[in-house]
Amino acid sequence: MMDCRRKAQISRAILVLSTVVTGSMALVIFLFLFRFSLPLFSSGSLGKFLSKNWDPDAGAFGVYPMIAGSACIASLAMVLAAPLGVALAVFMELYAGSRFSRFLRYFVELMSGIPTVVYGFSALFILVPLVRNTFRYGSGFCVLSASLVLALLVIPTVSLITMDRIREVPRDFVLAAGSLGASRLETLLRVQLPYAWRGVISAVVLGGGRALGDTIIALMLAGNAVSVPSSLLDSARTLTAHIALVSAADYESLSFKAIFLCGLVLFLFSMFSIVFLRVVERLKE
Amino acid sequence: MKKTVMINLCLLLTLLFSVYGFAGGLDLFEGLSGTLRIAGGTAHIKCEMLAGKRIMRRFPGITIIIGGGGSGVGIKQLCEGLIDIGNTGRAPTAAEIERCNLNVYKFAVDGIAVIVNPQRKIQNISTAQLVNVFSGKTTNWKELGGPDATINVYTRDSESGTRKVFWKKGLKRAPITRRANFVKSNAAMKTAVAGDPLGIGYISLGVADSSVKPLAIDGIYPSIENVKTGKYKIARGLYMNTRGKPGGLARAFIDYMLSPEGQELVKGCGFLPVK
Amino acid sequence: MNRVVVLTIKVLLWVTAVVVPCFVGMLLFFLLDKGLPVISLKLLFGDVAPVKALLLRERVFDGIFPAMAGTFLVVLLSVMWAIPMGVLSGIYVAEFAGGTVKKILDISFDVLASVPSIVIGLFGLTLAIFLHKNISHRIYPCLLISSAALAILILPYIVRTTELSIESVSLPLRLAGLSLGATKQRNLLSVILPRCSGGILSGVILATGRAAEDTAVIMLTGVVASAGIPHSLFSRFEALPFYIYYISSQYADQYELKKGFGAAIVLLIITGMLFGFAHLLKKLVARKINGFD
Repeated sequence: MMDCRRKAQISRAILVLSTVVTGSMALVIFLFLFRFSLPLFSSGSLGKFLSKNWDPDAGAFGVYPMIAGSACIASLAMVLAAPLGVALAVFMELYAGSRFSRFLRYFVELMSGIPTVVYGFSALFILVPLVRNTFRYGSGFCVLSASLVLALLVIPTVSLITMDRIREVPRDFVLAAGSLGASRLETLLRVQLPYAWRGVISAVVLGGGRALGDTIIALMLAGNAVSVPSSLLDSARTLTAHIALVSAADYESLSFKAIFLCGLVLFLFSMFSIVFLRVVERLKE
Repeated sequence: MKKTVMINLCLLLTLLFSVYGFAGGLDLFEGLSGTLRIAGGTAHIKCEMLAGKRIMRRFPGITIIIGGGGSGVGIKQLCEGLIDIGNTGRAPTAAEIERCNLNVYKFAVDGIAVIVNPQRKIQNISTAQLVNVFSGKTTNWKELGGPDATINVYTRDSESGTRKVFWKKGLKRAPITRRANFVKSNAAMKTAVAGDPLGIGYISLGVADSSVKPLAIDGIYPSIENVKTGKYKIARGLYMNTRGKPGGLARAFIDYMLSPEGQELVKGCGFLPVK
Repeated sequence: MNRVVVLTIKVLLWVTAVVVPCFVGMLLFFLLDKGLPVISLKLLFGDVAPVKALLLRERVFDGIFPAMAGTFLVVLLSVMWAIPMGVLSGIYVAEFAGGTVKKILDISFDVLASVPSIVIGLFGLTLAIFLHKNISHRIYPCLLISSAALAILILPYIVRTTELSIESVSLPLRLAGLSLGATKQRNLLSVILPRCSGGILSGVILATGRAAEDTAVIMLTGVVASAGIPHSLFSRFEALPFYIYYISSQYADQYELKKGFGAAIVLLIITGMLFGFAHLLKKLVARKINGFD
């Protein structure tokens, strides 16, 4: 029989071991991306990989168009999703308790559970032709189509987080505002929302991360052209879609090496956004 | 008595004959089992899937997995030892053959057609117009006698054998516009152009169907007959490649595709058989 | 506030509250409209008798059964990897880690949660190539690699819910066990964990849903359009989300496209049920905690 202390030691060791493995996973992924992008840095040809041309047949491996594509699509999605998401949160709070508000809350939660590929599939057959026929320019596979659907993907993130943070505002503040004669809407907009500004920023940044990190919607809807889009109706390719499209290439080729750079850019962005959030959350009033 | 002997002899002969007749067919797989991995060129997929289903229905111990990716991917995955047969829609280059010790089996000839949506009235396109459209100089259907609307060019990535052949023989090596939409396979090209009234793309003849409209180039219609007679120039072989001499399932599969039954299948898929 | 301003804001809020659900509803309605008529045993099993297919006596070529089976297996495996690792780490972070260590771990899990799934897929793919070259030529991108990569994807969710559930157990309850002379470990096992098993379970179910719907990870690590039902960990496999993506770009005919709609509805139902169940569980847990404390 093992004595108790021995048992405790072993179980503790197992806990530590699994924590070391899971806790270092992010670091492992970073190191591996860095390790495989390293040849691009050290050969002094990083500029070549950040150039505007991607044409493997001609020896051009610039991923700049994909960085621009990701930036355009994700930021347009956020321009749509941030106000809509916050507005939904405010609406749900304003009419809290009403049937419609409760329905909306369920609906937004449901939205967060819809698989991205299902969004993409549906939009492919209904939104893309709509965009094409409405604007009479291009194929409908474009920045706009992808951003619209990505916005739907992100709205639940933004509005659920915002709502939670609005609710965390101390009751006294809300009551004080009410006793000063502020209406419910005024309290929400002038007291609760400003008080919870850090929460709103968190919600938007986390949502932005989701928009930037999603692969399948842009892959299905954005058209995947390798040029910097000059209009919302232009076809574009995101970093994530680029990785998906090129990943089958020769593992020794420069094409394949370039996608690690794409991965690294995505990773660094998500890491900085997390650090940024931590800093924001710590800021004093 | 004599009659029975004759009948028996006849029966025996037919039996022998039928066995012989089958020998090139599915019987090639008798006694084999395991997984055969195929990937690469996407023009092959439909035809190989048909063959694969036939084989797997009869031999439950055999699994045939067919993936895409494009010709370049086929060769590369073959070299890495990730697959058993690499499909290519172009002849492997000398460098590729040497680097991976390739054995090359051509099993069909295919044409590459320029396709538009059936809503477009255009029937014929000249090589000069084609080059202008794909390089992005001509951007409006009006210039091709159509409505006043943008031309949406669809293309494949650099791994595609179809792209390489079309670029060389159809576009005379003129560059393809960077604003073109990318699709992943021949089947995806068909789907994309069938769904876009303003689209134009290029595709394996065997994959094209009535949902898209092939264009005559300089007056010559892309039909399998015109490919056969050599009148339609944008044609290429379809190849299956192995690293070293194929064995087991890969050998049987290649032999099957080259057998009369396999070649009949190839014909049914809209390609030109090689035998 | 000016009455006009208030009115404008209210109108804008109402417009948002109506337009967003309508837009999503339109997409879903379109899907249901096209896909519901296709839902049948034929969609799942093709021409094969369901019993034979389920017992693996006969292979299904024309139905989405292999894709469903593939999704089931890959998700089951990934959850099997992720639960022990995730729950143990969650326990450690909540109960044992202090100060700086906890802060570092928290950041690390947050970063891991925010890594795009395609990057995790790329990691899995490279891992597979590395193993193929250096360990065994039998290793390809396959079920094993995919499930491991998916496990990385859902790990942070499981760690977080475990951590939060444990931390939500109230102090009096913790002290009660300890004051009766239980060791820290015993107290954890017999008092704290049973209290928060519901919360952890709902987190696990949510993570399962996340794994079931992800396409990017498996796309790079072993899923193919047709492979049948995998018979080993080293087989390639099919999966519903990838099937839907694949059909969307290259359906051969209208029937195949309809099958894509059918598959999308099936996936929607599966993930919907998982999410619904998790939320229900969360509610029950919340009620229980409120009821006791």
